[in-house]
Amino acid sequence: MALKKKIFALPVQVTGRTDINRLGRELEQIEQISISSSAAKGKAIPAPRPSNILTQLAASNSYDLSRSDGRQQLAAALAKIHDHAPLLHISFASEPSPKVVETLLQWLRSNIHVYALLQIGLAPAIGAGCVLRTPNKIFDLSLGASLQKQKPYLVQLIKGAALKKQAPAPTAGGK
Amino acid sequence: MDIGGILLIIGGALAAIAVILYFDWRSRVKKPAAKSKDAKAVEASKLAPIISQTAEEDVEHIFNEDFREELRNRGRLHFEKIIGENAMFLQQDLRQTTTQLNEYMRAEITRTLQVEFKKYEQSIVDAKQLALDSMEKTVTTIEQQRQLLETQMQTQAEAERNQIIARFEEQLAGIVNHYVMQAIGNQIDLSDQLEFIIAELENNKAAILEDIKRGA
Repeated sequence: MALKKKIFALPVQVTGRTDINRLGRELEQIEQISISSSAAKGKAIPAPRPSNILTQLAASNSYDLSRSDGRQQLAAALAKIHDHAPLLHISFASEPSPKVVETLLQWLRSNIHVYALLQIGLAPAIGAGCVLRTPNKIFDLSLGASLQKQKPYLVQLIKGAALKKQAPAPTAGGK
Repeated sequence: MDIGGILLIIGGALAAIAVILYFDWRSRVKKPAAKSKDAKAVEASKLAPIISQTAEEDVEHIFNEDFREELRNRGRLHFEKIIGENAMFLQQDLRQTTTQLNEYMRAEITRTLQVEFKKYEQSIVDAKQLALDSMEKTVTTIEQQRQLLETQMQTQAEAERNQIIARFEEQLAGIVNHYVMQAIGNQIDLSDQLEFIIAELENNKAAILEDIKRGA
């Protein structure tokens, strides 16, 4: 009987490899504390409270963080994503809000790759829009590039404005 | 020796000639009167020795020192009179000559001056013409240089204008982008740009997918 493999759900709050590394370190810390707690019999060591993202990640993928195998499976999945997921570098003119990042990541994971990771950078010179860098290409999605594509239209607009300014102003009584 | 001295000498010579002619005339007037009486010729011939003697005596009497002195005085007076008359004539002639000479000199000087003035005028006209030709050549040269310079400047200005327009059109997107940045700066929120970014991502979706697959 062939079982349909469940796809690992990566929440949009997990943006890039930094987040995955942080989640991995958190899982490792929980694992270490769990080992320590089992080693120190009778002495209760308080388990650290997992972060909301980790809790959400474990819940959405049906991993039990209280169990060692669940934590290990989750860590393995995260490591696999860290090593194999495509990493996209995106630059903005200013620091993007989490909502913007989540929206973009949601689009990328829906349309490009389900485990797409983002590395966010700053490039104030681009003005508006963004610059997306894939492993082999750079996609200039900035306002400057968009204006560059519409250069003939811009030239036409400027010529029209110049001609309009050069044209004599209509007289007050003229109709 | 001046003209006055020459005239004085000439006048003296003329006066001496006049005195000599006068005495000659006087001697000729007395001889016919003696000869007119033919009838008395015989008597005269008889009386000739006496007469000649008497004449000699008279001559001696006449031409004594007093008479000579008188003649000298009369000759001197006559000479002075002639000299005075001639001096007057000479003065008139001199005045006339001076006048003619002045007129001649004036005419000559005028003619010479006119000739010289004509030459001078001609020289001035030539110099003026030369200067005008030179100025015309200079003006022509300057005009040619001006036209050449104007053409060069127009060509250069046209080239520069075309270059500026080409550069402007080439960097138009950057200029507009810069203007937009200067005008609205950071007032554009990324949330407002999200629709534009998503649309651009949609446009490049195929290329991004292809590159991701290649990279993977």
